[in-house]
Amino acid sequence: MTTPTPDPAELQVLRAAARRASIARRLQGDPETALLQSIVDATVTLFDAEAASIAIFERDPDRLEFRVAAGEQGAGAIGLSVAPSKGIAGFVFSTGQPLALSDVTSDPRFDRKTAERTGYVPRSIAAVPLVEQHGRGTVGVLQLLDKRSSPTFSLRDMELLGVFAAQAAAAIHATRIQRDLDELLHQALGRLAGDELDAAAIEAIVSAATDGLDPDEESPFWTLVDRLARLQSLGERELGLVGDLLEVLVRYAAPTRRRA
Amino acid sequence: MTDALVPAWSEPFSAAARDRLTRLPPLETIDRDWAFGGATGRGVRVAILDSGLESDHPALHGRVAESVAVELDKAGEPHVVADDHGDLFGHGTACGGIILGLAPEAELVSVRVLGSDLRGKGPAFAAGLEWALEHGVRVANLSLSSKSEAMFGVFHELADAAYFRNVLLVCAANNVPGPSYPSLFSSVLSVAAHDEPDPWRFYYNPSPPVEFGAWGVDVPIAWRDGGMTVATGNSFAAPHMAGLAALLASKHPGLTPFEAKAILAAVADNPRR
Repeated sequence: MTTPTPDPAELQVLRAAARRASIARRLQGDPETALLQSIVDATVTLFDAEAASIAIFERDPDRLEFRVAAGEQGAGAIGLSVAPSKGIAGFVFSTGQPLALSDVTSDPRFDRKTAERTGYVPRSIAAVPLVEQHGRGTVGVLQLLDKRSSPTFSLRDMELLGVFAAQAAAAIHATRIQRDLDELLHQALGRLAGDELDAAAIEAIVSAATDGLDPDEESPFWTLVDRLARLQSLGERELGLVGDLLEVLVRYAAPTRRRA
Repeated sequence: MTDALVPAWSEPFSAAARDRLTRLPPLETIDRDWAFGGATGRGVRVAILDSGLESDHPALHGRVAESVAVELDKAGEPHVVADDHGDLFGHGTACGGIILGLAPEAELVSVRVLGSDLRGKGPAFAAGLEWALEHGVRVANLSLSSKSEAMFGVFHELADAAYFRNVLLVCAANNVPGPSYPSLFSSVLSVAAHDEPDPWRFYYNPSPPVEFGAWGVDVPIAWRDGGMTVATGNSFAAPHMAGLAALLASKHPGLTPFEAKAILAAVADNPRR
């Protein structure tokens, strides 16, 4: 059986998209975790709390998975999963309503088992939903345990926590777009090829497109990308300068390549 | 052409009918005593769309008249069935306790729309609200909302149906930006929290979408398994307004949502203009 090929022009577009995505991934590392970590770090410092953590909703099976945590009592939560229909995080996730409880240990509904698994049982807890602005709805929960200066949470605390949650939701949204690109490529190829291509053939085309970038991790191209990634911390002026230098190099390289 | 096909919108204003168009007393003569004085919520059914109600919780003192739950079948179609699961989280019971704290003789109807299946929560919530509208409730407490843009039309229609049937929808406002239905619709009582520890203290905000502010910070609440705890959130502000709405409805049975909002605005704790 010969593998039917999609329209070359369309395939070209898809290859370009795959290439950009691969380069972007390489440039940014794991921006989601890094951003979420910086958000819980800031949250725990600002509130002077024992712990802050972010749980993200994942499917199959449905669960809220604690991805990042900060604070003296936070570390034990990372990697834990809880049912989205249980506990305070589950309630906030299901209703989209921010909620704070104090004196939670005396609350029989409080999920003591989960708390004990983390090695820390809080006295007070505030949780706000992470709501993506475009379509997906609630994607997770930001949780804060035990503000040291007060046994309860004020309206301002809840609003501020909402601001941090919005940041986290935006970070998740941005990186999910990238993560979903592979899936999108598969779908697009599937549609272009109609029923003629099976999953394996589509996979082959996608990997051909991305592998075209040079699979060798040590190749000069990837070394260059890694160097560029390190430039990200530079200011606007320095980046401008690097851009100008690169432009000169590109101009120099163009005729060289023709000569080759 | 038969008369039945002619919309008779002018009929209430005809010479024979307009004497029956009674109106409220002048707003400046309306005070809290007129609005709520002596009322207990008796005769008013209040639906609580939430996580269920723990009917034997002391804070609910036997006022739970009926409990149903919305379940989704394999095709995702919602069905309303009798419910004996109590309260999955404690949150519904908390709302019920707050309402009965203000309107002790109101009758509570639990419509559980939160459950283990999260895939269909928007449609389940809508089906629960529709059921409540068809089962004689006068006030519905919605301390939750749908974030799904796709549910706009469904909830808009239900909010209108409630308004035309004189059912007051009392909704917790959501602090998170983006869609939040039906709490953002103009016909509902949208409520956010204030931090003065007084269940009777509430404010009218003339800058919508959030029109009312009620106690929602460090509120002592009933919670699951007969327990109590202290909680903060707009979720707990809404049932304060629902309790007051139940009092109003029990004392003045014919009030429309439009009139009820006007009265609540008139007797709010705002400084006088």
